[in-house]
Amino acid sequence: MTKIGLEVHLQLNTNSKVFCSCSTKQVETPNSNVCEICCGFPGSKPVLNKKAFEKALKIALALNCTINKTTFFSRKGYFYPDLPKNFQITQYESPIGINGSFRGIRIRRVHLEEDPGALIHKGSYCLVDYNRSGIPLVEIVTEPDFKTAKEAREFLRELITDLSYLDVYDKKSDFGLKADLNISTIGAKVEIKNVNGLKDIEDALTYEEERQSKEVPDRSETRGWNAEKRITILQRTKESEDDYGYITETDLPILEINDKLLKEIKSSIPELSKEKSTRFTSQYQLSDKDAKVLSNNKKLSELFEKVAEKVNPEIAAKWIIRDLVNQLNYHKKTLDQVKIKPEYMVDLLKLFEGKNITDNTTKQVMIKLIKEKNFSPKEYIEKNNLIMQSSNSKIEEWCEQAVKDCPQAVEDYKNGNEKSLNFVVGKVMQLSNKTANPDIVRKILVKLIRK
Amino acid sequence: MKAKEYIEKVRSGEISAVKTTEGILNEIKKINKDYGFFNTISENFALDLAEKVDKNPKGKLAGLSISLKDDLCVKDVETMCSSNILRGYKPPFNATLVNSLIREGAILIGKTNQDAFGFGSFNVNTDTGIPKNPLDKSRVTGGSSGGAAGFTALTKFPHVAIGESTGGSIVAPCSFCGVSGLSPTYGLVDYANSLDKLGPVAKHVEDLELVLDVIKGHDVKDSTSLRDDLRKDRTVKKIGLIKETLDVDPKIKEIILKKLDEMNVKYEKVSLPKTSKYALSSYYIIAMAEASTNLAKYCGMRYGQEGKVNMPFNEYFSEIRTKNFNKEVKRRIILGTFTRMAGYRDAFYLKAMKVRTLVIEEYKEAFRKYDLLVSPTMPIVAPKLSEVNKLKPKDHYMMDVMTVGPNLAGIPHMSVNAGFYNNLPVGIMFTGDHLNENKLFKIGENVI
Repeated sequence: MTKIGLEVHLQLNTNSKVFCSCSTKQVETPNSNVCEICCGFPGSKPVLNKKAFEKALKIALALNCTINKTTFFSRKGYFYPDLPKNFQITQYESPIGINGSFRGIRIRRVHLEEDPGALIHKGSYCLVDYNRSGIPLVEIVTEPDFKTAKEAREFLRELITDLSYLDVYDKKSDFGLKADLNISTIGAKVEIKNVNGLKDIEDALTYEEERQSKEVPDRSETRGWNAEKRITILQRTKESEDDYGYITETDLPILEINDKLLKEIKSSIPELSKEKSTRFTSQYQLSDKDAKVLSNNKKLSELFEKVAEKVNPEIAAKWIIRDLVNQLNYHKKTLDQVKIKPEYMVDLLKLFEGKNITDNTTKQVMIKLIKEKNFSPKEYIEKNNLIMQSSNSKIEEWCEQAVKDCPQAVEDYKNGNEKSLNFVVGKVMQLSNKTANPDIVRKILVKLIRK
Repeated sequence: MKAKEYIEKVRSGEISAVKTTEGILNEIKKINKDYGFFNTISENFALDLAEKVDKNPKGKLAGLSISLKDDLCVKDVETMCSSNILRGYKPPFNATLVNSLIREGAILIGKTNQDAFGFGSFNVNTDTGIPKNPLDKSRVTGGSSGGAAGFTALTKFPHVAIGESTGGSIVAPCSFCGVSGLSPTYGLVDYANSLDKLGPVAKHVEDLELVLDVIKGHDVKDSTSLRDDLRKDRTVKKIGLIKETLDVDPKIKEIILKKLDEMNVKYEKVSLPKTSKYALSSYYIIAMAEASTNLAKYCGMRYGQEGKVNMPFNEYFSEIRTKNFNKEVKRRIILGTFTRMAGYRDAFYLKAMKVRTLVIEEYKEAFRKYDLLVSPTMPIVAPKLSEVNKLKPKDHYMMDVMTVGPNLAGIPHMSVNAGFYNNLPVGIMFTGDHLNENKLFKIGENVI
C-alpha cells in the first residue's frame, strides 16, 4: 500500500529577513539585499524577526498543533557554498508546533528556519547569490498519511489557500512551494528531494509509484526530480540517517511563548477556506462548485460577501464567479491589482438586478471597472444613457430601421432559419447603443417581420 | 598613574591625548619585536582619535589608550583572531563595544595577540608569533588574551586592554603577567555564543570598573545580551575558599592564604564537588562543539584566505582549512564535531549541557552563604616556553581547572595579583554571583 509523507517548505511573507533587517524583495542584482548577518561575517549575530516568528506560530495554531511554549533554535551543520555560515539556523528539538492535523492529515511538526542562498550555474563555473540567504521559511512535516499523489496535491492546494488566508504566505511569491516527498509502496522508503510546485509534486509521486512497482527499492534512497524529463533520478542510497551534528544556537535566546501572545495570535486566525465554503452553500444557497471557487480566493470571497449583502446572492455569485473571474483572466490581472471597490460592484449589480441595464451593458461596465480606478459605474451609466430602454415606441423605431438594414437576414428568417433573427437583434442592439431590452426587441421584431 | 587620574588631566587640558598616544605608540613599536604583544598597530587611526579628543576632551575615557584583543572587529582594521585563515581580513563593521569606547573618547591603539580563535591557555597556539612574558622573556604570557595582559603589565602609560574569555582567557594571562582582569557576567557585554565574554585587563582594579561601565549594557544587535544592570550592593561579609582548588603547588596555596589573612576578611573553606569534578570536561565539550560550528564559516569564500578554485567545493574547503588552521584549531574542530554527531551527541554534548545546569546550581547554592568565592587563578606560575612545548594537549586543558567553573556558569570572576613566587606573579581569583561585579571591585581594591 502506498504511503506518502510531505516535508513542505514555504516562504513567509515578511518584509525583512528572519535574522537581519535586509529586505525580502526579489531584486535583479545578485548580492544586493545582503549584510554581514545573512552573509555570515565573523562577529555578526542573528536577531530574530518577531513577525516571522509570529507567522510561524500562527501556522502552527491554524494546523491545530500543540505549541511548544519554550522553544529555541539549533544549528544544522553541513558544508555547502550557498550556506554562508556552513550551518543553517533551524529548529530541531523544539519546533514551534507538533502533533497537529489539517484536512484529516496528521501534522508531525511546524518549525521556522532560514533559507540558504542560491547557486547559479554558468557552464564550467558557478556563482552564488545570497539575496535569498536568511529569507524566512516555515517547514511543515506531515505524517505519511496520503495514499495517492492526487490526495497530496489536493492537501497542498488547500494548505496554501489557507496560508494566504492567514496572511503568512504569498501564493505569487516566486519561491512558491518546495517539498521533500517521502513515498513507500511495497519496498523501502524513498525520499524525493526538493520538488517545486503542486504539479511537479503530483507528477513526481505518480512517477515514483509507477517506477517502484517495476523496480522495488530494497533499501532507503534519496532521489531527485528532473523537471524536464519528468523522471526521478537516484542520488544516493541511505545507509543511515543524515547527520547534521545539531547543537543549540546560543546566539539566540530561548523563546517563551506566553498566554497573551498565544491568545492574540489565535484570535487573529480568520475563518479558513473549508469552513467558508460550507457556510456559503448554506447561507447563500450556492452550489458546491461556486462556493469552492469563491472560498479558494480570499479577496474574491470578501468581495462576494460585501456585494451579497445588498444584491441577490445568486446574481452576485454569477457575476463575480463567472464574468468577473473570466474578465480578470482575460485581461491577465488579479483582483489584488485592480482593487475593485465593493460599493461600485453593488451599484452595478443593483442596476442589473432591477432590470435597469442589459446583460451586455453590465459586462461592458465591469470590464471598465477592471481597467479604470475611481470609476463610478452609476455615474457612467447615467451620463452615457446606458439605462435599458423598454419603451415600445423607441424600440419599434430601432427595429424598423434594423429590418430595413438587414434584408437578407429577414428573408432567411422568413424562410424558416430561426437563427437569422439573432443577426437582426444584434443590429437593434447596435442602433440602441446596447440599451434596448432584448426581450422586447425580440417580440417586436417577430411581430414586424411576420406582418 | 591610574587611568582615572589621567583621564581627568586630559579632560582639564593638562595632558594632551595626542602626546600620550604618540608616546605609547613609540613604546609599542620599540618593544613589539621583542615581545609580540600586538598583531596590528593602528597608528593613524589612534592619532586621529586622539586629535579629536584633544579638540573636545569629553567622554568617560577621554584620551585613554585601549588595546583590543584580535577577535574584536574594527572596521577596516585587520582582524584575524591570530589565525592565518583570516590574514588580511578587514571587517566591514565595528563591534558594538568598539563604538562604545570611541564614543567615550578612548584611543584604540591596536589589536593584541591571542591563541588563534582563543584556543589555548598559554598563547602558544597562535599564528602571529608567541608573545613573551614581560617579567621573563623565556616564559609565556598565558592565554588566550596573552597580548592584552602582557602589554598591560609592561607599558609605562595608563592603559586598559580588552580581553575575551571563553574558559579563562582573561584571568589566566593576568595571573601569569601580574595584572588585574575581569571576566564579567555572561551577556553583560555583547559578544558571541554561550560562553564568550569580553572584559577589561588593567594594572588597577578601579580601571577595570571604569571601562566596564562604558562597555556594558544591552546591545540590540545581540539578543543574548542582558537588559539588567549590575547589582549595586558592594558589601563583602564572608568569602568561601574553594577547597578543591587548593590542591596546587604548595607555594601558590601559601601565597593565596597569606593574602586572604592580610585582607582582614572573613573566609572559610567550601566544597564545590560537582564543579571540581565535572566542569572542566563539560566545558571543553560545549566549547568545542560550539567552536566547531562557529569555524565552519571559514572556508575560503566571502572573506579571509582564498585559494584557486579548480576542484569540487568540498575539496576546496578542505584544502583551505587544512592549510590555514593550526593544529589546536583542527583538534578542537574534530573533537567538537565528534561530540555532536549522532550516536555521541547524547553521551557528550547533551550530557555536558545538563552538567552545566548542575554547576550553575552548585554555585547558586554557595552564593546563598557567601558573597564571593575565592581560589588561585592558575595552578602554576607562568611556565617557560620550553616547558609548555613538552605538555600534552590534555595537560594544556587541565590548566583551566580553576577558571572553567565560573565561565561555564556565566558568573563574573576577577584575577588580581596576590604576590610573587620566584619573582613570578601569582593571581588570586574572586568569583561572584551573576551581576555582582561590584562586590568584586570592592574586594579587589582591598587586595593591593
